[in-house]
Formats: sequence, C-alpha cells, structure tokens
Amino acid sequence: MSHPTHSGTYAVDDYGRPMMLPGMSGVVANVRVGDPVFRWAADHLEPAVSAGCADRGRHQALQFLACVGNPVRVVSGPAKGTAGTVVGKHAFVLVDFATDVLDVLAPGDRLLVRAHGQGLRLLDFPEIVTRSCSPVLVEALQLRANGEGRLRVEVAAEIPASLMGAGLGMSSEWANCDVMFTHRDTIERHGVEDLRLGDVVAMHDQDHRFGRGFKPGVSAIGVVAHGGHGAIPGHGTGVVTIMSGPAERFELVRATSANLSDYLKL
Amino acid sequence: MTDHARINEEELLVTAVVGDVTSPSMGSNPYEVGADGVPALPIGVGGISYNVRVGMSALGWAGDQVEPGVSLANPVAAANEALNIFACVGNRAIVRTGDAAGSEGVVVGKHETFMASKHVLVHLDAGPLEQVVPGDSFVVRAHGRGMQVQGLPQVACHSLSPDLWNAWAPEIRDGRLALRVTRVLPPEVVGMGSGRVSATTSVALQTEGDGESLAGLRLGDLVAIRDWDATYYTGFREGALTVGVVACGDSPVLGNGPGVTLLTSAPDGRLIPEVDADANIASMLALR
Repeated sequence: MSHPTHSGTYAVDDYGRPMMLPGMSGVVANVRVGDPVFRWAADHLEPAVSAGCADRGRHQALQFLACVGNPVRVVSGPAKGTAGTVVGKHAFVLVDFATDVLDVLAPGDRLLVRAHGQGLRLLDFPEIVTRSCSPVLVEALQLRANGEGRLRVEVAAEIPASLMGAGLGMSSEWANCDVMFTHRDTIERHGVEDLRLGDVVAMHDQDHRFGRGFKPGVSAIGVVAHGGHGAIPGHGTGVVTIMSGPAERFELVRATSANLSDYLKL
Repeated sequence: MTDHARINEEELLVTAVVGDVTSPSMGSNPYEVGADGVPALPIGVGGISYNVRVGMSALGWAGDQVEPGVSLANPVAAANEALNIFACVGNRAIVRTGDAAGSEGVVVGKHETFMASKHVLVHLDAGPLEQVVPGDSFVVRAHGRGMQVQGLPQVACHSLSPDLWNAWAPEIRDGRLALRVTRVLPPEVVGMGSGRVSATTSVALQTEGDGESLAGLRLGDLVAIRDWDATYYTGFREGALTVGVVACGDSPVLGNGPGVTLLTSAPDGRLIPEVDADANIASMLALR
C-alpha cells in the first residue's frame, strides 16, 4: 500500500485558485465505491486503498495485470488476512475494503492481488475488446446479447468525446482517462451531479481498443475510478476502461444503479 | 475600431538557458501499437531531422511526432524544466560548441511526450544543420515569459516571444484580440496533453478522429482550438479559445498526433481567430 507524496507546491484549479488537497495514494478511510464523486474537497480522490510498488517495473506489472473485480488479500500488518477487491486504476491500483478494515489499514501494509483478466475475450462479440476486466466482473455485469447482435450494458451516465481529457493517448490498460468534470457549470450542464464512484459509464466516440483516442462510431465502457471536485483543468473524474468496440455493437441501457458496489456486492 | 495590440515588452527579461542536441532514446522493445492494432516502430523524436523543417507538412511522415530540425534538452531534469518553461517560440538559439559554434537558429516549438521527454525544437539553416551533432550545446536567449497584452489581462501568453508577436501583429478589435490562424479546431480533437502545464507543454491533435479537420496541416501553422482553455493548465472550457503553433508531426498512436505548442489563451471570448491560410511561423519569421 502506497503512501501519499507531495511536491510542496500548489496546483491551480479550474476556477484559477491555488489548490492543495488530499485524495491520491494511501488510505482514504471514509470514501468507497458507491459514494458520490463530487462531494469531497479532494483532488484525484482515490477511494479506499491505493496499491503500488516502489520498484517501477513491478509497479507497471501491477498496473497492467490487475483487473477490476480481482480479489485482494492483506498479507501483513494488523489487518492481515482480510479480503478486498480491485475497483479501479489510476496512478495506483484502487482497492476496496470493508469500512472496519479501512480503519486498520495503513501505508506499508502488503497486499496480494490475484491478477486475472488481461487476455479475456468475449467469444460472441469478437469486435468488442475487454481491458482490465476480470471474469468476475463480466459475470457480475450480467452482460447479455440482446437478440439483435448487440451487447446489452447498463450505464449510469454517457460522456461526450469533448469532455475526455488526461489519459488520452495512453495504453488502454494503464491507469484511466479523465472526464473533464472540473467546473460546477460543466457538471450541472451534463446532469451528472449524482455520479458515484464505481458507476459504469459509456464514453461516446472513444476508441479504447489499442490505446485511447477520439474516433466517431466507436464506444468505450468504463468504471468511475477517482473523483473529488477540486480539479485541475484537463483532468477530472477518472474512468478506467473495461470495454471498447463499434458503437452499434452495444445496447446502452441507462440505470442509476449501474455501480460496482451493487454488481460486486461490496 | 482596430489598433495594433501592445505588450509589456519593456518589462520582459532576457535570460540564458542551455540545451544540448539530443539523440533518440528507446527501450529494448521498439514497437508501439497503432490505432488499429498494427505494430509500428516510432522514429522522429529526439536528435536531428535533416529533411523535416518547419513549413513542411505535419502529416504523412513515416514516423511518430517527428520533431523538425534540432531537438534540444538539458540533461539536468530541473534545468530542462526551466529551459522548457522559459524558451519561447521565436527566441534566438545560438550554437556554443562543435563545428557549428556561433551559428544562430530560432526556437520553433516545444514538444512533450508522455513521461518521457520535453524538447525545445530549433530551426537551423541547412549549412549549420549539417554541422551540428548530438551533444552540441545551444544557448537559448529566453524572452517572452511574463508577456501580457495591454488592456486584456484575461489573455494568458505562454511560449510566445516578442519577435513572434511583432511578426504576427495581432490587432485589438472592439476590445478583443484578433489573431491570424490557419484553422479553428473543435475541442474533441485535443488528445494527449490535456491537463498539462500550459507554460511548458504541447498538446496532441488527434488525427484518427476526423482526418478532414487536419487536412493540409503544416509544421509551423498557427491553429486555434475552440472551447479549450490554457490559462494555467490545458482543458475543456466552453467559450474559451487557445492558439498554438504546430511543432511536430502526426502519430499512428490513438489519442496522439501533431503536437501544438501553446502560445496564448483566454477563457472568455477575448480572442478572435481570423483564418488566414498563410499564418505559418516559417514565413512570419523568414525561416528557410
């Protein structure tokens, strides 16, 4: 489990104000998936636990191999033996634990991730690729063919390409892509005030198959991984990619309940 | 009512920052993956590009974000940050060491790649370009940081030198700043570079999305991006406008493409783009 770090300098938020806020790395004991995205005075809020590795090569392996839905076990410290779940990725791999466990965990505790999911393919939908999506998550999302050759996916929100920010151009499996919900006006205009951490969302005109970028007619499905409202322009609400493919291969069904906390019973 | 816009030129410092000619750098597995899952071997970032110069096409090179001319960096990370923050497009860059010592070039762009490099790009005439080698040292006479437009405090200026400003000759029109650009692009064209520090960086124009909007794009083109703000960091903002200069070539990688070095931005409609197909710094700064 990582420890927060800080440069000691201020960043600037989308209102032009100097900003020095917590959120990244370590333990956030009072925020979990299922909680609101925007309530918090935080920057890049990583809910619950952030897992990393001091060695860069190992950290990259953790980043690329961990998949949403993977089981995690605490292997040192007072919470040894307790179980968690990978719920997202950002600079770190984000792991949910029960609230009483979060009260005990601390940076430095060792975590074991049972990485399972990279290489996964949907046999009936070869045009749709999965990324960082565990078999457990595929099962939990209750993905179904809708009878017209489309994959039925419940989503809590739909995101236009113009709001996709930092994370474009990076590998599909690495960290996430920010939706630029950095200003109250943008959040209200898109009606996403109630967006929750862990929400499954659709990103329109986004090709996240081999990297992430703008492409009309291609969609990406992701999970809201990090939040907070004190945001740097061009950053915002992080969404980890779990699927991408031609838009016409998806049937999107709006459901405010489309959240990992329900799907994975966290 | 139209007037030549004035800047606070008499307040601006001229300082020396140093960069060495870089050499390309790669990992042991050279392949990256293009947008359609096709492996590609990237070439073009770092070192010297003998046959790619500002004014030429930004598209169609068999490379990845090719940097025209000479690519500089300072080997000390913090000094490289300063080089990349203080150097402005249009600044003089003088060769200090090697066979081309004493030759003078011009800063034509700055290019940042993800967690890898930050380079200052310098145009040299063909003669000295043949003489410089990786490791040769340049001094950039950095001039432009701190620039403000008189009467328009909302306008942020970034990697913009007084020399380029004077050649560009923006005008004040009805209280707004009119800038010549080759085209105005929509916000969804911006890819990698969103959220970066405006003072230092470039942002990528995504070629995969709508090839038409970038057709004919040249290195050195001045381009505007609507609904995009770069006052401090780069990001979406309805009604804002950001103007930059195309610094490097396109890319096969999703979310990437020609890099634009940021010159000026305003969040509130104070910048008016005026489309002029000839708005390219190669002609403005008489670069050959």
